[in-house]
Amino acid sequence: MSDALKQSLDLSMFWEYRAILLQGLIFNALVFLCAASVALSVGLGAALMRINRFWPMRWIGTLHVEVFRNAPDYIMLVWVHFVLPLLIGMLIRRRVEFHPFVSAVIALGFVYSGYFAEAFRAGIQAIPQGNLDAGRAFGMSERLILWRITLPQVVRRMLPEALNLFISMFKATTIVSLIAVPDLMYNVSMVIAQEMRPLPLYTGAALTYFLIIFLLSVGVRHFSERWRRKILA
Amino acid sequence: MGNWERLVWNQRDVLLAGLGVTIEVCAIAFAAAILGGLLLCLTRLYVAPLRPVAIFLIEFFRDTPIFVQLMWVAYVWPEVFGFPNTFFNAGWLALGLQSSGYLAETFRAGIEAVPPGQRDAAFSAGMSQTQTFSRIVMPQVVLSSAPSIVNQFTVIVKSSTLISVITVPDLMSQSQKLVNVWYEPIEILTATAALYIAFVFLISLAGKYLADRLRHRYGLAAS
Repeated sequence: MSDALKQSLDLSMFWEYRAILLQGLIFNALVFLCAASVALSVGLGAALMRINRFWPMRWIGTLHVEVFRNAPDYIMLVWVHFVLPLLIGMLIRRRVEFHPFVSAVIALGFVYSGYFAEAFRAGIQAIPQGNLDAGRAFGMSERLILWRITLPQVVRRMLPEALNLFISMFKATTIVSLIAVPDLMYNVSMVIAQEMRPLPLYTGAALTYFLIIFLLSVGVRHFSERWRRKILA
Repeated sequence: MGNWERLVWNQRDVLLAGLGVTIEVCAIAFAAAILGGLLLCLTRLYVAPLRPVAIFLIEFFRDTPIFVQLMWVAYVWPEVFGFPNTFFNAGWLALGLQSSGYLAETFRAGIEAVPPGQRDAAFSAGMSQTQTFSRIVMPQVVLSSAPSIVNQFTVIVKSSTLISVITVPDLMSQSQKLVNVWYEPIEILTATAALYIAFVFLISLAGKYLADRLRHRYGLAAS
């Protein structure tokens, strides 16, 4: 038993494959960056729909938020990868296939857009009505008010929560290995298939992710506290 | 619509069996998470020598992605600790460990929010340490963190889809089996996704209802 423990803590094999594992980690980062931009823009769109004057728009925005916030990300990933191309193919009468990377970005982006929409909406609704009235009194258009008055304040206010969402999102990128995006976990399982030594490799992967995410979240916590003090002051 | 009947409705026994396993795993994981979270939190707050260990475990469980943790628990733990002996056990254990980290922090926030004056009052009324904790502190913690606890259950259900990867026959894995038999993913996967979304939605609705009721009955601040 202690032999097994020694084996799993012996990370030399993990180190031996560092080049390919690092490549995987870069894929994690790429998926994260693309999915984050999708989540931010779709989330902002959904938030604006939720506070729209016309009820059908509000209804669609609410539906969007409720569906994606309650959807497990793994089923969404599988659905986007295996069902969405078929549906699109039926629509344009042509065979469509998604690259796993594209599916991963769409799935994670849309799942997290639900959370971002709520963060945006909370931020937008916290803007005092007087700010908007003042903008209108100056003759600003609704669009200008949104970009110059509302959004800058919203971004400042929602930054800590958004950073936490980004961290959850980075954690979620580990599941893209299940549709064969060559991320860290995928490369780890490839190496395991070759070397037949899961103990050091899975332990190494767990420790690597732990270290990265731990450092990120410590940084975010530290930053958020300072940020809140600065905003409230 | 014929396809829906053939692929989803006629296969309802298979899917429901999977849903049953999902609920079972999530319920066990949830119970384990509450117990584990309480244990970690109390160790962190009141057992000084073990405090660094508790903090490390809480951070480790929270900051490791659930999929990685699942594979780690399923393939490394049996060799090192001799447990979990089945993938079913590995599934709920990994889900429970991750949530125990989050719940430990929720409980800690709840305990630290109880004003120290109340504890002093209880002591001066002659209550013991244990009595103070179980009669004064804990009831307030349970009430104030009820919404987060329910929320954690939805997180467990969502993450539980991943145990299909280690061949636990949950809803996700049953529906993938059906897809592999029929080669018609559209209906089966859409129905599965809808089922999961509805299930998680109902839980969070129940959580909101519970939180509102508690607030009305006991006049708690919104959290």
